[in-house]
Amino acid sequence: MSSTDTSSNPLLRMEGIHKWFGKVHALEGVDFQVDKAEAVGLVGDNGAGKSTLIKVVSGYHRASKGKIFFENKEVKINSPKDARALGVETVYQEQALALHLSISRNIFMGREPSKTLGFLAKKVMDEESMDALSSIGLKLRSPDIPVATLSGGERQGVAIARALHFEAKLVILDEPTMALSVKEVQEVLDFVRELKNKGIAVIFITHNLHHVYTVSDRIFVLVHGKKLTDISTKDTTVDELSKIIVRGTMGEKTLKEEGIE
Amino acid sequence: MQGSKSKLTYSEGLTTPITFIAAVLIFAIFTPNHIFINPRNLGSIAKLTPDLGIVALGIGILMICGEFDLSIASVLPFCAYIFTLFVKNGMNPFVGYLILLPIGAAFGLFNGVLVVSTGLPSFIITLSTMMFWRGLLYGVSHMMPISILRYVPSESFFARMLIGQVGPIPVQVIWFIGFALLLGLILHRHKLGNWIFATGSNPQAARAMGINTAMVKIVCYMIIGVLCAFVSVMQSVRLGSFAATQGIGFELKAIAAVVVGGASLRGGVGRMLSIFLGVFIIQIVENGLILMQVPVFGVETFIGIAVVVFVILNNFLYRQASR
Amino acid sequence: MGRESKLSRFIVSFRNVGVLTILVILVLMFAIFTPGNTFIGRANIKIMLALGSEFMIIALGVGLLMIAGEFDLSIGSVLAFCALIFTWTIELGINPFYGTLITLVCGSLVGMLHGFITVKGKIVSFVTTLGGMMFWRGLTLILSKGTMRPAQTKEFTAFQALTTGKLGGYFPAQGIWFLIVAIVLWAVLHKRRFGNWIFSTGDNKMAARSMCINTDLVKIVCFMIVSCLCAFAAVIQTTRLAAFSSRVGTGWELRAIAAAVVGGTSLRGGRGSMVGIFLGALIIMIIENALVIARLPYEWTYMAFGFVIMFSVLLDLVIEKQVQRA
Repeated sequence: MSSTDTSSNPLLRMEGIHKWFGKVHALEGVDFQVDKAEAVGLVGDNGAGKSTLIKVVSGYHRASKGKIFFENKEVKINSPKDARALGVETVYQEQALALHLSISRNIFMGREPSKTLGFLAKKVMDEESMDALSSIGLKLRSPDIPVATLSGGERQGVAIARALHFEAKLVILDEPTMALSVKEVQEVLDFVRELKNKGIAVIFITHNLHHVYTVSDRIFVLVHGKKLTDISTKDTTVDELSKIIVRGTMGEKTLKEEGIE
Repeated sequence: MQGSKSKLTYSEGLTTPITFIAAVLIFAIFTPNHIFINPRNLGSIAKLTPDLGIVALGIGILMICGEFDLSIASVLPFCAYIFTLFVKNGMNPFVGYLILLPIGAAFGLFNGVLVVSTGLPSFIITLSTMMFWRGLLYGVSHMMPISILRYVPSESFFARMLIGQVGPIPVQVIWFIGFALLLGLILHRHKLGNWIFATGSNPQAARAMGINTAMVKIVCYMIIGVLCAFVSVMQSVRLGSFAATQGIGFELKAIAAVVVGGASLRGGVGRMLSIFLGVFIIQIVENGLILMQVPVFGVETFIGIAVVVFVILNNFLYRQASR
Repeated sequence: MGRESKLSRFIVSFRNVGVLTILVILVLMFAIFTPGNTFIGRANIKIMLALGSEFMIIALGVGLLMIAGEFDLSIGSVLAFCALIFTWTIELGINPFYGTLITLVCGSLVGMLHGFITVKGKIVSFVTTLGGMMFWRGLTLILSKGTMRPAQTKEFTAFQALTTGKLGGYFPAQGIWFLIVAIVLWAVLHKRRFGNWIFSTGDNKMAARSMCINTDLVKIVCFMIVSCLCAFAAVIQTTRLAAFSSRVGTGWELRAIAAAVVGGTSLRGGRGSMVGIFLGALIIMIIENALVIARLPYEWTYMAFGFVIMFSVLLDLVIEKQVQRA
């Protein structure tokens, strides 16, 4: 069980990231990286710091200490705008879509293409929405239907298509398969594969090891704000991973200390 | 499966036109001597509705973005009072009007900033501001009506611009339609409109996408303020005077009109055309019931029931349309 | 589950002390500054307690409902409606004790209706009760044709004494009822399981439900309590006035909310205390009374209450932010 040979030219590299919330040390010196066209599963039990880590990447939180490198240049991500400008798009759980709005209005939320005086360029919105959807393989009838009428899997598809459309280089998915049916989970995992096919890096947060195992290249395990292990999926199994996580969360020595790399 | 669901979403937009037609038919048939459709009666409806209607358009937009404004009942007469003071002191009514509009916006700004910075239920905040302005107005004006006929005679261009006639159509209606078109275009065809819907439907998603939801809400409140200022003068000129009781009851009727017009109380849903019709429905019901000699109190009762019924209906249709 | 953690209790008692301080200051102020110190005079205190209790009793219920996370704007109209029902029972010659029972039952049914529509129709309570406010007032006006009617209960001396008499010739019975209701509601809210359910429902409905608390039932019961108290107040008021007037209760909804808010009840639900609401109700009642005595124009009360709500709300926000920093 060796940790993966990390590439020397990663898309995103985070070094020594610390985050304090008042007295709570949410992230303790985390080193994390993702490559282009690579999918990394970010796992760990509740309170491990997964959400905090991705919120640092997506600009919701500012790291208390540490450096972030994007495409080999050091960057400061101080707000969601900064993250988006770099090409980092995040798909949150409950917060992704406005259910009453149509697909195209959702895709272009906040970034609406406009004609004179700010009026919406509806044709452009509609055409490009349909293009974005089909590029991840999502077939829907019309861009005008309210998102509320879509299934859970289709909604995730719209959110992912949105990230794709805005030329994301890195897409972060926060629990994308939660509360979805078996069929819908497969749809979402297919979308993730499409993203990888397009050379986009993906960070996939989840509790469900089975889901993340099938699409990820690497699994990064966080426990109590510290990296427990960073391992290639080729070199491990779902069973092993759950054992690792449980033991790590129960406070046992890290694998390194046990002589297991 | 997709197809049938979409049909239901279209049906959301049908409740209001159907109610409108039903109301017109019912009162046309059941009022004594069909007096409801007497041209004189229709004319008076046309003259009265825009007072409530123009303001209700703004309330509708605000409700779509997820907030309420009950203070219109006090801001409206307050603006009328300020205008009256202006013209009494010799100011040209056009100039006074132009200055009044930003004052209305300031009222709205006040509400908006309070709501956004405290994060508290807007109906409580605006209930308080309504009470506050009402108290202040009553205290300062001593509830005395003030005639403005001397300063704005009904033949003057100013008056005719606001309450004259263009052929058989009262000018107020033209203003109402004009505002409905302008605000409807902004709501349904402009970037800001998308932001308004997004803020009402899922404020967190909107913020995550970079929309400044606080600013959106404040803008909506300011729009209402300007509309209140506009209507206040239109109403005063029609009445020939300032009356401290102007606008009483508007806050509830406006909400009723918007709800009957299919907008959701939770935000994110609404159509300008339906709100436009919703206002007429409320006015028609009020007018029709009075013609049928239902005691005046009965109108309030009816509106109370109508609000509750339509809210439940709207919610039901929405839940049918989505999973 | 409920917000009765140590910190919460500390904030609440701190807040209550603050409210008590405000109350004391107001009393002193009005005592000194009213012409002839009439405010503090025996006659005025008797009036305040006798008349003011009608409002204060309802305010206690409104505050309770707010802790459960809902609002009731219809209290003034329900008061009028119940007053009409009680008046009818008197006109029909029914013994006022039974009449009271009938009125209380009607009040509870009204509350049940409000609660049912709000939770089952899944609509915001302020809309339900806004509609209710218009509906019950309108219905009362239609049924009574807007006129005043006499409601004489003089023959029933026991009933009169219980509702409007004076203990020891001095302390108004209404004031005693106010104390009784306050104590009962205090016990329910702070000493019984149901009270914990009220806090939980108001604080985090989803969490309460996952703990198998029937939040729908909790809310419906709270609505019923409010309307039932409106009915009770209607009985007391009608007996005192010996007449029915369709205009009673107008404007009370805002004052009741003001009382609760001044008393530290959170507008978001889940936080508040009966002691606070009790004190808040006293404060609102005193302000109104003082404004009348000082012969200030009645319109100023609108301003005063609007201002009072804003101030208390902002104060609470500041306190909450301080707590979050701790």
